[in-house]
Amino acid sequence: MKEEQLNSLRQQDNALREALRQDEAELPQMPADLNARLMKRMAQEKPVAKTRRLWPWVAAACVAAFIIVNIMPPKASPPAPLAKERGVVTPDTHRAEKPMIAEVEREAAQPAATTKAKKAKARTNVVKHDVALLAQETTATESVTPEVKAEEEAKPELAQAVTQDAKPMTLTERDIPITRPENYKYTPEEIALLKKQADEAYLKWVELELEIAKHHLEQTAQQ
Amino acid sequence: MTETDLIEGLRKQSPKAQQETIDRYGREVFALVVRLVAVTENAEEVYQDVFMKVFSNIGQHDAERASLRTWISRIAYNEAISFLRRKRMPVVYFEDRRHEADKLSDAEVDETLGHANAETVLLIRAALKHLPPEERALVTMFYYEERSLKEIADITESIPTTVASRLSRTRKKLCRIIKMLQS
Repeated sequence: MKEEQLNSLRQQDNALREALRQDEAELPQMPADLNARLMKRMAQEKPVAKTRRLWPWVAAACVAAFIIVNIMPPKASPPAPLAKERGVVTPDTHRAEKPMIAEVEREAAQPAATTKAKKAKARTNVVKHDVALLAQETTATESVTPEVKAEEEAKPELAQAVTQDAKPMTLTERDIPITRPENYKYTPEEIALLKKQADEAYLKWVELELEIAKHHLEQTAQQ
Repeated sequence: MTETDLIEGLRKQSPKAQQETIDRYGREVFALVVRLVAVTENAEEVYQDVFMKVFSNIGQHDAERASLRTWISRIAYNEAISFLRRKRMPVVYFEDRRHEADKLSDAEVDETLGHANAETVLLIRAALKHLPPEERALVTMFYYEERSLKEIADITESIPTTVASRLSRTRKKLCRIIKMLQS
């Protein structure tokens, strides 16, 4: 039905219009204080609306932070998994070597420590040492010193070897130090290194003993 | 205050503009709501919700598409309908399942609704109570408030041709109910 037709019907349907007018007149009237209540409610709900705007953002930020903390790996760790994936040896070889060297040093240091403990006993016996023995010991130290020099010369070569080891290389299962117990066995090169370090420590101990003996001799000579 | 100034004031959340809007359209909105919701307490609740929505969503109003009055009426209509659906208010109305109203001739319908005698008016008032709330609101908007089909279509979120056909069907339905009441 077209709008014009309906508009003409609107004018014709007098009974319907009258009925609607009477119905509308009987409808409940709007309470006088309704608008005042509305304004009051608006004033009450305004601050609530502000908090409502804020809390979703706060919640979203918390969730994002939680996700970042859980998903993102710690800053220090990323190189390790990467190295494992690539099968490349990086400073881990240093780590594996360091404890061994430390152990050797400890072993070398132990005789020195025991000598210190024995110093008191030795002091009483030093007087009994004769000059010939002292001369023998000094020649021994002189004969050893070239070896020490050779070792010192060999040190840069060792350092170079270590740095070469530090360069990336392909890992095999045997190279994994922790999981394979057989890797704890020392290689011939390591044993040689240990021997050298032990010799060095022994020489130092001898030198120290000699110094002590000399000191006591001087004291007795003065007396 | 012109409508443009009023809209501008509402956009700025001006209390003066809000008060002016309530004063200007409050009664009309309340009438539209109470027509659909019927219970005064519920109508008051819906009325407050309507204006809260108007003031908070004024940014969505498109002045080129609809006037402020139509836009507010649309919000009021939707709020009242959704209130009825939400609260599941029991509504009893006549449903023409057999489509017997369509069998009535236009002349018969015109004659029944055109003669404004007391008896017919009473019968029409009784028949209006058997209409669903949406159809009753449609008839009131067209006949009592004298809104155009386009305006009604804007309020009910429909198109003018649909509103016209619904109005035509409602007229016939009213006539059918009157016939039933008479018999």
